[in-house]
Amino acid sequence: MSEADLALLLTGLACLALRLAGVMLAGRLRADHPFIAWASCVAQATLAAFVALAVLAPSGALAALPLHARLTGLAVGVAAYFALRERLLPALAIGLVAVVLVA
Amino acid sequence: MHPAVILGIRAALAAPAIAMGATFLAFGAAVREAGLSAGWALACAWAIYGMPGQLVVLQSASTGGGVIATVVGAVAVNARFLPMSVALAPWLRRREGDRRPLLLAHFISITTWAAAMRVLPEQPVAARLPWFAGFCAGAFMIAGVCAVAGHVLAGAMPAALRTALVFANPLYFALLMSADLTRSGPRRAVLAGAAAAPLALVLPPAWGLLAAGLTGGTAAFLIGRGR
Repeated sequence: MSEADLALLLTGLACLALRLAGVMLAGRLRADHPFIAWASCVAQATLAAFVALAVLAPSGALAALPLHARLTGLAVGVAAYFALRERLLPALAIGLVAVVLVA
Repeated sequence: MHPAVILGIRAALAAPAIAMGATFLAFGAAVREAGLSAGWALACAWAIYGMPGQLVVLQSASTGGGVIATVVGAVAVNARFLPMSVALAPWLRRREGDRRPLLLAHFISITTWAAAMRVLPEQPVAARLPWFAGFCAGAFMIAGVCAVAGHVLAGAMPAALRTALVFANPLYFALLMSADLTRSGPRRAVLAGAAAAPLALVLPPAWGLLAAGLTGGTAAFLIGRGR
């Protein structure tokens, strides 16, 4: 087994362990328990930070896209989302077309 | 089979499929560029099933980072699986002591979590786990098919298209969060998370996102409790 395969295997197992641990930690707690509410806030905030970084300060392949294209894509997509009464798929498509057009 | 399974599959084959599929297409193409096989792309997509961690492992596979450093880095960027699973678990249980949600734990990803947190609270208790199982099955298939397709099609994809594909994922999550901005609790967490995002710029990349989520999420939680 090569190093890359070993790293892949171990990462997969560790990610599974995180997910199992989360489900077990939640145990018998109800959805409105403070610990569950806190975990929801952390999960939601992590996702928001992920999106903010992807748009404003990305690394990797996204960095090849200029800042004005990322901002335009986000703005057009969100505007389309509300203009189309919260329909996800068309808003997503419109936002992506905007990205390609201005990039 | 519970009818909610089919509804879950159908929900996965709509907008989530496009957003997630686009990202996995781009991932498959990147694996090909790194000189690794389509089988490796599929194994990585299905074994880790969390894009940031997949990208860390891919990068180290192509540049030769050490095994331990790679695993620690990849797990740190995917650490959100822990709070996400905690938040989701109560919606998957049918009754106290129900262990079946553990069988679906591996399929908890940003896409499946975000969809489930929107849909499950409105479903009857008996339909929740079947709906989530269907959604996860659909999403997992799309991820695998698109990772392999991206590998096969890599040469035929213009650079601009590939970049647009990569942007599909953050845009999709941004749209999901736009819906949350109309509800006060989630809005607080979304705004606090975005405000804490700069933490990720000053901390090591592997821990930055985790720190931003913990800081922003805890702040949002405390402010919410104070009201």
